[in-house]
Amino acid sequence: MMRPFVEAIRTFRWEPFRSVDLVERLGYASGYARNFLSQATRQGLLIVESKRGKKEKTFRANPSVVREIVLRGGKEKTELLEALGLHSKFLGQYVALRGFSVVDHDADLYSLAERIFPDTEAQDDVVITNVGTPKKILTVEI
Amino acid sequence: MIGVGKCWAFKDDEQPPYPTIELTVSSGDRKATISPKVDTGFNGSLAIGREAVRKMRLTARGTVLIRAATGHSEVPVYAVKIHQPDLALSFTTLAIGTERSLAGRKLLENRTWLLDCEQRRFCATTPKSATND
Repeated sequence: MMRPFVEAIRTFRWEPFRSVDLVERLGYASGYARNFLSQATRQGLLIVESKRGKKEKTFRANPSVVREIVLRGGKEKTELLEALGLHSKFLGQYVALRGFSVVDHDADLYSLAERIFPDTEAQDDVVITNVGTPKKILTVEI
Repeated sequence: MIGVGKCWAFKDDEQPPYPTIELTVSSGDRKATISPKVDTGFNGSLAIGREAVRKMRLTARGTVLIRAATGHSEVPVYAVKIHQPDLALSFTTLAIGTERSLAGRKLLENRTWLLDCEQRRFCATTPKSATND
């Protein structure tokens, strides 16, 4: 489920897309595309956008998923950040994300945190994470 | 002349005993007093142990990659306020979540410390002589 979701983000970012777009641009079989859209919507990865007068549904990646994936960490996080194009711009840095938007970035984790979290309750919709291996990585040598 | 200020006793739940410092961490209206191990091999400010995270019901504000002796690993980060009245410390910082609490070099920097392995105490020093010695 995550792989086609990440591919959809890589291709469409946060723009709306249709089932036929998955077929035409990602080469998915129409049945596979429909199945993915159905499951991803049920799981909250995608938001359905119905437009008046349009027969076919459009979908958009759910921005709140970014927070969940970052907090889960691991390979999915790495793939998502890469799909969002962050590796080309912020490799080796820390980024603060609100949904798909980078609200701030810094090579130093603590400098970034000072700006984003001036108090412990601030900006609870923002998550901080590394893009690739940080140039200023935290080291715990125990 | 350097004097000895506030001291904390070494913990002896492992041998040899190790230096600690006492801090209060808070988030919102929840707070906990912790005794992180002083770890000069940690280049961050604070690592907060699982027990304190659970007690304070801290919510992760992200995840970051760290380098440990066993290799790289990904850990959660928490926004916490640190209070240490004896050192006049009170600031909000990002703490990484680890197995046990650690006080790193960023927390210790810009201050002179006394690591007294004979009397098994870790102390902040004062510019004047013998205030608490």
